[in-house]
Amino acid sequence: MQKTGWRLTKSELREWLDRLLRENRRVIAPVDRDGLRYFRPVTSADEVNLDPGKTRWSPKEFLFPRTEPLYTYDLRANGPELHDPPLPEQEQVVVGVRCCDAAGLVRLDEVFLKGKVEDPLYARRRALTTIVAFACAEVEPECFCTAVGGSPMGTEGVDLLVIPFGADWLVRPVTEKGRALAQEAWKAASREAWSLAEEQGQRVAQEIARTPVAKEWAATLEQNFDSPVWKDVAGRCLSCSICAYVCPSCSCFDVHHEGNPWGGREIRCWDACTYALFTLHASGHNPRGGSDARYRQRALHKFSYLAPGEDDVIRCVGCGRCIALCPAGIDIHDAVRRVVASSQEGDAHGRG
Amino acid sequence: MAEVEAMNNPYRPHLLRIAAARDETPDVRTLTLRFVDEDDGARFPGWEPGQFGEYTVFGAGECVFALANTSNGEQGTSPVLECTYRAIGKVTAALRGLDIGHVIGFRGPYGNSFPLADWHGRDLVFLGGGIGMAALRAALLSVLEHRSDFGEVLVLNGARTVVDMVYQEEMPAWEKLEGVRVVRTVDPGGETQGWDGEVGLIPEVFERQGLSTDGRIVIACGPPIMLHFLFKSLEKLGYSPQQVITTLENKMKCGFGQCGRCNVGSFYVCRDGPVVSWEQMRALPDDF
Amino acid sequence: MSKPLHVRPAPAESARVTTASGWQPDIVAMVCRWCTYAGADLAGTSRMTYPAAVRLVRFPCTGRMNPLFIIKAFENGADGVLVSGCHPGDCHYVQGNLYARRRFAIFKALMEFVGLDSRRLHFSWVSASEGSKWVNVVEEVTATVRDVGPAKPRGERSAAAFPPEEPASRAPASTEEQETLTRRLRSVAAELLGEGEASVILGYRRGTLPGQVVPGFITSREESEELVWDSHCFNNLSVYLPRLAKQDGKVGAVVKKCDAATVVGLLQEKQLNRDELLLIGVQCAGVWEGKRLAAKCHTCDGQVSSLCDVAVTPEGTSEAAVPAASDPRDAAIAYLESLSPEVRWDYWQKEFGRCIRCYACRAACPLCYCETCISEKHRPQWISPAIDETGNTAWNIIRAFHLAGRCTGCDECARACPAEIRLDLINRKLVQVVEQRFDYRAGIDTEAAPPLTEFRDDDSEEFIL
Repeated sequence: MQKTGWRLTKSELREWLDRLLRENRRVIAPVDRDGLRYFRPVTSADEVNLDPGKTRWSPKEFLFPRTEPLYTYDLRANGPELHDPPLPEQEQVVVGVRCCDAAGLVRLDEVFLKGKVEDPLYARRRALTTIVAFACAEVEPECFCTAVGGSPMGTEGVDLLVIPFGADWLVRPVTEKGRALAQEAWKAASREAWSLAEEQGQRVAQEIARTPVAKEWAATLEQNFDSPVWKDVAGRCLSCSICAYVCPSCSCFDVHHEGNPWGGREIRCWDACTYALFTLHASGHNPRGGSDARYRQRALHKFSYLAPGEDDVIRCVGCGRCIALCPAGIDIHDAVRRVVASSQEGDAHGRG
Repeated sequence: MAEVEAMNNPYRPHLLRIAAARDETPDVRTLTLRFVDEDDGARFPGWEPGQFGEYTVFGAGECVFALANTSNGEQGTSPVLECTYRAIGKVTAALRGLDIGHVIGFRGPYGNSFPLADWHGRDLVFLGGGIGMAALRAALLSVLEHRSDFGEVLVLNGARTVVDMVYQEEMPAWEKLEGVRVVRTVDPGGETQGWDGEVGLIPEVFERQGLSTDGRIVIACGPPIMLHFLFKSLEKLGYSPQQVITTLENKMKCGFGQCGRCNVGSFYVCRDGPVVSWEQMRALPDDF
Repeated sequence: MSKPLHVRPAPAESARVTTASGWQPDIVAMVCRWCTYAGADLAGTSRMTYPAAVRLVRFPCTGRMNPLFIIKAFENGADGVLVSGCHPGDCHYVQGNLYARRRFAIFKALMEFVGLDSRRLHFSWVSASEGSKWVNVVEEVTATVRDVGPAKPRGERSAAAFPPEEPASRAPASTEEQETLTRRLRSVAAELLGEGEASVILGYRRGTLPGQVVPGFITSREESEELVWDSHCFNNLSVYLPRLAKQDGKVGAVVKKCDAATVVGLLQEKQLNRDELLLIGVQCAGVWEGKRLAAKCHTCDGQVSSLCDVAVTPEGTSEAAVPAASDPRDAAIAYLESLSPEVRWDYWQKEFGRCIRCYACRAACPLCYCETCISEKHRPQWISPAIDETGNTAWNIIRAFHLAGRCTGCDECARACPAEIRLDLINRKLVQVVEQRFDYRAGIDTEAAPPLTEFRDDDSEEFIL
């Protein structure tokens, strides 16, 4: 681990957050409200919750809003007059992002920045955003970041990494963007502190006892597309979309057109492959008519299907929210593990 | 008001005006479309046969049709676009309600195209079932426009009944060309009195033609059930999977591989298709 | 209510009617063509004058009124809505308005609970000959809505602090009792499957997270060993019954008393046949999340429902639970109703603002079984898929309304909701309204008709002008 950076007390950390707010940036952080913890723009550092644990859902909505207009139009006498949506302008700092969530944003970059077409709204918002991740000092029962190549102190997608360290916080710049937020007055952390932080990270990582997802699983899963185990593990899926919506790396969306006699708009809003309507053709044909077929699609999209030229990067970041929140108690990691296990001899149901 | 920064907005459609409309069947219509803004049209990049567009009916939404004619409009001129569609859902029903002069939106061209260069010198068969012909028309017209580059051409146009057959007005012009044969067929029971075409399902009518498989390319498009039986029949006749080309269809929204909807395995119909060989198709999971 | 979808061009000044008192409300009047429309026509031909604040939308009958129309009117900027039709007994279609009367009553109660000022939503009976009554109604409604003022966007006025919840008057079942029930359940399931009396049994098995219990579809004697029973058996397994009942052989299902009440609903609505089912009732000491007993359990004695075919009880090793007198949900509802409409509106807008439209509430609800949900219909698109305040409010109101008179209070919707929206309170409010007005409780009688599918000639209509 890189051993440069700073050590802050809790009050110095809060002072820094207040300073960011005074500098006319939008600061988004975990807040406890209405019975849950979730990311919201804050107006004071006091609102920020720095406790261990994840927010109810990922902060992806601050790069990929739940709903946003793609264009609006007015209907004039000689036809429609189109207007592009305004490009985002305000800088934002998202603070308190877990390392799994930060990695999820990199998965979104693959879709919105590195596909055939770069999405201008996402690209601008991304450029204006700095990600300040908070490493995990505790593991929640559903966490499995290490099983998918991540880590409680991972730096994928992170600009500035903040590590809880006793009563203090270590702060490590990962990118120039992150370094630009650092304060001159901050004191350097000692080498010893970094070593101890590294050991802490390893201890935390070891608490995750999930089977690692091997590179070969991608091919095995696709080869076992017709396995009856899919129905076993996902037959009870209720086709809501909690998993997709709380997920840091799910990015599927609907393009929806609404209008009245004076004008209208085309919007993009979150959608999920778990819904029956997702692939329903106008003819009435639905390639994925059963909830188990749809669940299989989600699992394979996360662990198996790769774009041409893409690295064998697993899209799942192991945050485990889908496991904790699924009303039917389906565990995606266990599901794929069982399909892979069932492809081995003598374990037809993959229970081994 | 502050200057709004210009955005290269991939979702913003071009505006096209309906210049002509031809009813192919009671529920299928072919539209001829011109750019509202000629300069916009002049900048339009053109397209290859097989590509598709997302057509916007303002107030209703977007839907996907193949670009049914060949790219035209020499450099600096605004091209004419044609598409053939069936009124079956919300947007196509709304489109059906529009008239000549109305303005719709267009995004594209998207998708891959037919590998026409690979077909040079080969004998070709175009098999269209119902509105499936629309997906083949651009490729067929391109072949007919460059007649001497290709071998014999057989067009087999099948429909449920006589009135359901598309492009009836155009087919006489196709068969006037040398080496081009057009066979029309309707399903048993779909013939009218005095029908002089074939009666039978496309796979069996094709088998009856008794053509050799040597180097021939078969380009087929139609309802999934037709393709299912057709591929069985082609296999029986001895065609190899590389000799058969088709197009895939799936529910689409963005049209360029971003919204995550149209995939069959790792293959996104909008980005990696819709044109696909039978060989490629067989390798895909049974998810369409 | 909220920002209109697309702002239509402001009307020319000359077209805008102003009164001496200034602002004129925009009121949408949804009227039936046979009575009220004709009555309004009569007022016009009789040269009666009245405020030009109402825009009429003509329907064949008030029975055609879908609450979504009212919601749409408010969404598009209406300050008030008036629905008017024939007097009971005069309906052109005989009984359309009699069904509508019940619908209106419940919808008005729902909208008021959600914080719509009751002065914005009115219903009236105006006959074809009552031109002057029409004038009076419009004058009264216009004056009332003008008093309330223009429809305001949501504020931040809420600081709803619910009174602390009554602690449970009992404890979870002992470990021995849970183990006894588990053993007995396993042996019942094994026998039913072994004898071929059921081809699948819906029960609970261990999940992958510590303490987690998840639904399990058991199909063999051996698998029966995986069934468990404890205080975390949350799921209402009847949500899977219609799907599984389609296969050959009977479907067995482990049901708590609350789950069995939902099965009653599914039977009432012909989504299941009784002879397809084998209901295995388990004596239940309530479901617990940590130290909190679920609200629905406070007033439940947990006994096996009389609907069940098999009863699994601890027998002799414990006493039946003693139900508490009050339901914590009722206390929360009473608190919300003590707030002013504006503060209550802000509270619910805040709740709905967190909604991410995952439709887990719909997915988890056994009585939400529509092949195509109203939210999925697109010709026309009644509820916008946009995940914003407009679409969210419409969805949450309609979801609750479609369950009015049917919901059995299993609260799975609220438990599934990742945004912690108090859906249980909205549902329970309508349960109260239905009980008060129609003396009806869902989940008891498989032969009863749900209240919105029938009417009585003497249904109260005190709220109708």
